[in-house]
Amino acid sequence: MNPVFAQGLLDVDFGLFFWVLITFLLFLFLLTKFAWKPILNALGEREKAIKESLEAAQQAKEEAMRISQENEKALKQVESISLKLRKEAIEEAEALRADRTEKAKAEAEKLLEQARSTIDQEKKKALLELREEVAKLAIEAASLILEEEIDEKKNRKIVDRYIKELS
Amino acid sequence: MKQFLRFLLLTLVFTASVAVVSNAGPSSENRIDLIGKVVDHYYLDFKPLATVELPRLIYDNGQFHFYRSTTSLLNKSDLFTDAAYLVDEPERKDGLIKPASYRVVRLDGTSPQFDFSITSHLVYFWFAALLTMLIFIPLSSRYRKGVGRSTEPRGAFQNIFETLVVFIRDEIALQTIGSRKYMMFTPYLLTVFFFILFMNFFGLMPWGVSSTADITVTAVLAIMTFSITQLFATKEHWKHVFWFPGVPVPIKIILLPVEFIGLFTKPFALCIRLFANMASGKILIMAILGIIFIFSDLFGPGVAYGTSWVWVLLTLFIYLIKALVSFIQAYVFTILSALFIGLAVEDHSEDDHSEEHARYSLPTQYEQ
Repeated sequence: MNPVFAQGLLDVDFGLFFWVLITFLLFLFLLTKFAWKPILNALGEREKAIKESLEAAQQAKEEAMRISQENEKALKQVESISLKLRKEAIEEAEALRADRTEKAKAEAEKLLEQARSTIDQEKKKALLELREEVAKLAIEAASLILEEEIDEKKNRKIVDRYIKELS
Repeated sequence: MKQFLRFLLLTLVFTASVAVVSNAGPSSENRIDLIGKVVDHYYLDFKPLATVELPRLIYDNGQFHFYRSTTSLLNKSDLFTDAAYLVDEPERKDGLIKPASYRVVRLDGTSPQFDFSITSHLVYFWFAALLTMLIFIPLSSRYRKGVGRSTEPRGAFQNIFETLVVFIRDEIALQTIGSRKYMMFTPYLLTVFFFILFMNFFGLMPWGVSSTADITVTAVLAIMTFSITQLFATKEHWKHVFWFPGVPVPIKIILLPVEFIGLFTKPFALCIRLFANMASGKILIMAILGIIFIFSDLFGPGVAYGTSWVWVLLTLFIYLIKALVSFIQAYVFTILSALFIGLAVEDHSEDDHSEEHARYSLPTQYEQ
């Protein structure tokens, strides 16, 4: 029997130690240069790109939000302005119309007044003329009837009295 | 159905290994060499199919002696011989002297100066290293081409290994070393993790050997961690070792040897932990299968055959545990290495708040 049972198990072999150390260092160098660094760089780059694009998206979202808020505000402003303008326009139109009606009415009134006064004058003139005509006709008629009976002076007096009574 | 087939395959594998052990039985006086299954060899063992002898490289008296195999050494060399043949008559087969103990000595029985021979553990270490290269260099070329750099990773191959890489970078390196320096040590941690993982996995394969069940290999890995720790240690770290700040002088004097010894116990524990875990798994499997032969000796072959399924199932269970342990030990070695590196390179002037804040910062870029 082997006196130290597990001796072979705990032996440190120099040759193996040497080879493992050398090859480990070699493979560490090769893997670092050709595998780990490109992979880790790519991963880092990807993560950075993802982070950046997320940030950009967030920023874009905020920007869009801000713009839409601004738009809404502007829209509201425009709406209120247009409302005001409409109101003003309506009021103006109303005022204009009222003014026009007033003017037209006044014009009509004036015209009517003019017509009335003209009619009045014409009527007076007509009446006067009528009176003259009637007097003349009466005198003529009377003179025809009473040609010889009464002289003209006496007749005139009668006719005048008659006309006075008439008017 | 698939699972049943898989189970059948595993059972067959174990039955085969039982057969191997039983074949080895009579030739070595009915003794199964348990430790011999775990220790290093100068050949690759594919029994009962073949035994591949590995090259021998011996440095003696200022000269390198290279032989294609131990057999070639024994037949060609007039300087060296097998330690077993100093007393015994050389064993011959097909006219060639075959090695017996594989331990090469000078003709006077003394050991040569240095034996740089390739061993089975070294070969499996190289396999693990090459496998890591074969996986990650094509993967890196994918990233170089832009898949995973500017787009999402595509395919199971890239996704699986990217997950592992990101896990080691974020959960091991970043968490333990801190955001300032972690990218400097991530390549080392990745290398160590995948080497150990693949070495452990090779031990699970039929005829495979796990190099991590060799204390020399784990010692190299632990020494690497130790060297990195000491090379990149900050002034603060040395101050903590030799003159612990913030405590009275007598306590400083008591702490000095404690801290100094602590420098070496950390990598020593790393080395022993990995080695013991991996070696014990293999020994346990061999031991449980050995129960069958012990039962055969104690109660007769009938009982041994009758109960063998229990031990085979138990072996299967241990095998699954080993698969789990392979992962866990690779993880443990990596995270502890990261922790020790983190402790040594830690910048104490950095306050906790900024540390917390910086955790979410982006990894720095390497210069190509």
